[in-house]
Amino acid sequence: MRNYDLITPEGTKDLLFGECIVRRNVENKLLGLFKSRGYSEMITPGLEFFDVFNLNSSYFPQENLYKLTDTKGRLLVMRPDSTMPIARVVATRLKDAVLPLKLCYDQKVYRTEPALKGRSDEIVQAGIELIGSQLRIADLEVISTAVDSLKALGMPFSLEIGHIGIFKALVGKLDVSDHMKEKIRSRIETKNFPALNDLLDSIGSGPVIDALKKLPALFGGEEVFEKAEELIHDDSITCLLDELREIYRDAAEICGSDGEITVDLGIVNKTDYYTGLIIKGYLQGHGEEVLSGGRYDKLISEFGYDVPAVGFAVNVNAIEKVIAKSGELPNIPTADAVVYAEPGCEAEAFKTARDLRAQGLIVENALFEDLDSVREYAMERKIPKVVVVDGSGKEEE
Amino acid sequence: MSRPIRMALTKGRLEKDTVGLLEKLGFDCTAVREKGRKLILPVPDANLEVVLAKANDVITYVEHGVCDMGVVGKDTIMEMNGKFYELVDLGFGRCKFALATKKGYDFYGGYGIKTIATKYPNVSRHFFEKKGMDTEIIKIEGSVELAPLLELADGIVDIVETGTTLKENGLEVIEDVAPISARLIANTVSLKMRQAEIERLINMIEENL
Repeated sequence: MRNYDLITPEGTKDLLFGECIVRRNVENKLLGLFKSRGYSEMITPGLEFFDVFNLNSSYFPQENLYKLTDTKGRLLVMRPDSTMPIARVVATRLKDAVLPLKLCYDQKVYRTEPALKGRSDEIVQAGIELIGSQLRIADLEVISTAVDSLKALGMPFSLEIGHIGIFKALVGKLDVSDHMKEKIRSRIETKNFPALNDLLDSIGSGPVIDALKKLPALFGGEEVFEKAEELIHDDSITCLLDELREIYRDAAEICGSDGEITVDLGIVNKTDYYTGLIIKGYLQGHGEEVLSGGRYDKLISEFGYDVPAVGFAVNVNAIEKVIAKSGELPNIPTADAVVYAEPGCEAEAFKTARDLRAQGLIVENALFEDLDSVREYAMERKIPKVVVVDGSGKEEE
Repeated sequence: MSRPIRMALTKGRLEKDTVGLLEKLGFDCTAVREKGRKLILPVPDANLEVVLAKANDVITYVEHGVCDMGVVGKDTIMEMNGKFYELVDLGFGRCKFALATKKGYDFYGGYGIKTIATKYPNVSRHFFEKKGMDTEIIKIEGSVELAPLLELADGIVDIVETGTTLKENGLEVIEDVAPISARLIANTVSLKMRQAEIERLINMIEENL
């Protein structure tokens, strides 16, 4: 049998030193930001029952889940997402809490990614969920938090907004099977114009078909709304477009010149759990979105509590990658001093070191038998000061 | 000017056809034509950088966003899947996936599980899954036509252009699986971050197809 005792499983890795500093910095920035906006942190278990992720409106294909069983033989999964567990908690322990609830999290999720593709199976997501408000201002609150999160990273970004309701309303006007609707959706999602056109031509013609054909091309700046209005003359959809346009304008104002707000009416995620607004955040130099989220008004009701919600998650690993690409890892802070105890003075030396630490210094206790070795160690580690404790008071070098 | 748009081309025929198309648009592709052994080549007047890669790698580079766009066959896209936008059917590199057997063989007859030899296990699996048919799929790297001749497999799923190779080996197409042609794909973030440049290029390409 082969022994795998010296490596980590595919899709996982050890983080060392500077890499940890980068991760914690990103996490602290995001969590700090969420908390400063009144969000309270939640931590949910890494293991959940499979059933939590197997609801009607969720989309977690079983082949992408890490599965195991508990001692009673029940199917468990390594949490593939944080929103579903949070929905579970909201529908149970927080059922009587005052609304709106503002929750945030920073935890790992696990999904099996195809092998040898350079993807992680273990990803840290930091995000928020705003529960109990259907108002436009709640959408704007979440967008504004997303903008501030991307801003906090200090890199050029763009935040894209869309609305799943536009696609759903359009496709709802066609008299076709759910299977056909799904085919249309997947071709819009991949902006596969040739296949989409062929498919829609086979269904028929008319203004709805024309609008669906153009939907994946409707992305960019505010001009998108004008193009959409020319194409779509349905009152309920026009109303959605007007709402989205207002949100777009406000978001652009909140964003200012550090980043860019864009719109894409052709974002139509496979997961059914989004019901309205959809947002995606991008950083220059990373090939996938680093932030994604939206409104999911029907999800929590599947756990038995009918309450609207909106939120997003940031992929912390992706941000680490962008940071690592853009420059060097931060230096690991070295100790300010190392304290050496002459024989018999060990206890005093540990107390001396403690006093120095109380002044805010990073202080090591020397773990050598003679002073020369300590000096050598300090030189190698670039520690500027050796403190010798010999019982007669302190001697410093 | 910002970093050139990087376009990954599938080495070989699709590369030549794409270079032909770029030249038709009026871009100077001398560097690509006289490439020697270089793998990254500039098309300066288009602010493009052409990257030459194997078909599967075109998708990998585009998915990761290290190349903004790519030209790759639908065959590779169907086999590999992945997350990217499939924007334009370039029309060249036309052929098809087909199911072929030894001439006169009754593939759908009997109740035994059929064995399929192919270089495209995902395409094959998907094709027979849709028919609700269990099959045994064996991956072959070289000339797939050999497998039924050596009686390793009942049929093959492979790319068919003219059908001459099949004919000369006593095989025949019994069913088309899917049409194939070259596609222009784009990274999902690049299309958004560099929308104006990419859209301009796509419009030019579409006008000249």
